[in-house]
Amino acid sequence: MPTPIRMPDFGTNVTELKISRWLVEVGTPVHRGTILAEIETDKVTMELECIADGVLLERCIKDGEMVEAGRIIAHVGAPEALAGAVAAPAVAPTTARLRPGSVEFLLDLYRRMLLIRHFEERVKYLFLEGVMPGTIHQCQGQEAIAVGVCAALGPADVITSTHRPHGHAIAKGLTVKSLMHELFGKPTGCCRGKGGSMHVGDPAKGMIPAIAIVGGGVPVATGMALAFRMKKEPRVAVCFMGDGAVNEGAFHEGVNMGAIWSLPVVYVIENNRYSASTPIAKTVRLKNLAERAAGYGIPGVTVDGNDVLAVYETARAAVGQARCGGGPTLIEAVTYRITGHSRRDPCNYQPEEERKKALAAEPIGRFAAHLMADGVVDQAELDRIRAEVDAEIERAVESAIAAPDPRPEDALEDVYA
Amino acid sequence: MPKLTIAEALRAALREEMARDERVFCIGEDIGIPGGWGGAFTVTLGLEKDFRERMIDTPISENGFIGMALGAALMGLRPVADVQYGDFLLCAMDQVVNQIAKMRYMSGGNLCVPLVLRAPVGATGRGAQHGSNLEAMFLNVPGLKLVCPATAYDAKGLLKAAIRDDNPVLMFEHKLLYGAKGARAESGSVDASSEIPAEDYVVPIGKGIVRREGKDVTVVATLLMMHRALAAAEQLAAKGISAEVIDPRSLVPFDWELVGASVRKTSRLVVVTEGPKTGSVASEIVATAAETLIDYLDAPVVRVTSPDIPDPFAPPMEEFYRPSVNRIADAATACVRVR
Repeated sequence: MPTPIRMPDFGTNVTELKISRWLVEVGTPVHRGTILAEIETDKVTMELECIADGVLLERCIKDGEMVEAGRIIAHVGAPEALAGAVAAPAVAPTTARLRPGSVEFLLDLYRRMLLIRHFEERVKYLFLEGVMPGTIHQCQGQEAIAVGVCAALGPADVITSTHRPHGHAIAKGLTVKSLMHELFGKPTGCCRGKGGSMHVGDPAKGMIPAIAIVGGGVPVATGMALAFRMKKEPRVAVCFMGDGAVNEGAFHEGVNMGAIWSLPVVYVIENNRYSASTPIAKTVRLKNLAERAAGYGIPGVTVDGNDVLAVYETARAAVGQARCGGGPTLIEAVTYRITGHSRRDPCNYQPEEERKKALAAEPIGRFAAHLMADGVVDQAELDRIRAEVDAEIERAVESAIAAPDPRPEDALEDVYA
Repeated sequence: MPKLTIAEALRAALREEMARDERVFCIGEDIGIPGGWGGAFTVTLGLEKDFRERMIDTPISENGFIGMALGAALMGLRPVADVQYGDFLLCAMDQVVNQIAKMRYMSGGNLCVPLVLRAPVGATGRGAQHGSNLEAMFLNVPGLKLVCPATAYDAKGLLKAAIRDDNPVLMFEHKLLYGAKGARAESGSVDASSEIPAEDYVVPIGKGIVRREGKDVTVVATLLMMHRALAAAEQLAAKGISAEVIDPRSLVPFDWELVGASVRKTSRLVVVTEGPKTGSVASEIVATAAETLIDYLDAPVVRVTSPDIPDPFAPPMEEFYRPSVNRIADAATACVRVR
């Protein structure tokens, strides 16, 4: 469905609104934040920002025409909707679930990061108490990357994940309940108990089962992007990987093919500075992993992975470029894992001083402080979000423990279609 | 009806399936380069003229493009990926074994993986890294279907069935069966061409076929060995031994009904496959026969395979490596003589 672009309401003091000049032609790819037009009021001239990804399908108002607030002045949507256009670049359905920069958007980022953190902490103790089976790889400290990147994606976009996938799943919209049931090995889990912690996913939410072989997702995400290109679908694939993946052959093969065919894929390295226990300096000579991009002729960007808005902006630009046929970007989001590599890892290999600094720079407290300083929220609002998040997690834990186990012989199903 | 070689029959199958279903595409090395070879064995020759957008020529990146085929399959396309030589599948073992074969299972049945992998196998004067028979390795990978056509009719019908199947299907093609004339005339190549019907047909995956009826001994043989088993059956007939030759055509799923019925009739089983003996396809077939058909067997089950060595280069050594017509006939004769 095309997204209508309406004339913003600039308040009661503004009486005259005029489109002084359109800046984008019909048929041009646009994304959230693209400046579509200049708007002249009786007081100032302002810029009209696009609120959706796609192509500009229609301009309903001419240059110089007067318009009242709230009136539809343009439509943005998939290129197929463009009358007579066949060769328009691939673009996405709207991802404007919440307007970027709006209070709702910022609070949603915060809430999602907190949901991931508290989910991981709860799961950690369930493991330590011996209640939960299996093993876990957790992402405390890395939440801003999953949340920032997924906020730049629409529901039709897809991600691949890693052995450390809980954050990606929550950020892409899987419910805490379906994840918790999966971690408990219940048939009510997102993979009916056949995936477990390292393979959570839900194709309906745009996440295939997480790929727990380091680097293994790089060719797969690239192939999903190839399918989008061949089917002329306006979708983007995002491949999450850890820093260790850049030393796998699959990384080289996959990124190279994404690059040579300019596929709609974004490669996101979550550089938490350790491949399991081995520090990055022992495995890579480069200062920034994004420099690897030069070897494939694509842009590489290093971003503070603990700054959710910086991650979001970086991802938004990369996703927009990928969607419009501009090819892949290699994003390196620098972060720190403030928990063990897997269960019961005391992180003795992380220097004390380094850990202390990392804890001070962790993304959630930092974002909360930023929101409070800007007057977006107060402590009471943050407390309310925290209570909601914790209640949601507790409900998931209770229902997961209460859910029946699978029948052992259910193991025989789902091997073949 | 036109007579086609296996290479031509596979090409016809790809052409017809791509015309029938726009989701079908080919991906691999040197498959659609104008002026090129149509893959290592001419199977895709000329398809780029009609399907330019659906013949994806890749860099030399087997793990990469086979992983991409998986990604494309998960997003609704139906890729046919081929490696120039089956040996190169080993570069892509993570994608084939960890990802492709397990993706549906790990998803709890939420996904299906409709893709085809084509892999030329068989010792053919190229030494140890371009001639392996890898079929046995993939028997141990649940989630894959395995097929091994020995005739052009089956090659076309099985490839069409594989493309239409919602599971990953790995097709083994023997390099000495692609064609026995022209560019494909290699030393030792065998004419496996067939009359190909004009109308659309598939050969169902999991269904074997009796190539020659007999009553004294059942000989199960795949790919090139199937043709040698037929030649051996001729020799045996001259000695008064009636051999029933079965071509299973698929390894997974395997047509136990057909083999079981034959063994119940003949009471003797010889299995012939090319490649090292230990852990071979033949091993799996005789093990299951010993487990389930023991009451019907009048002689120990027999495997005729290559010795446990890499495939050697020198022609006399290579011929020693591949089971010969005489070895098959001798093994069947010995089996029949057990009282």
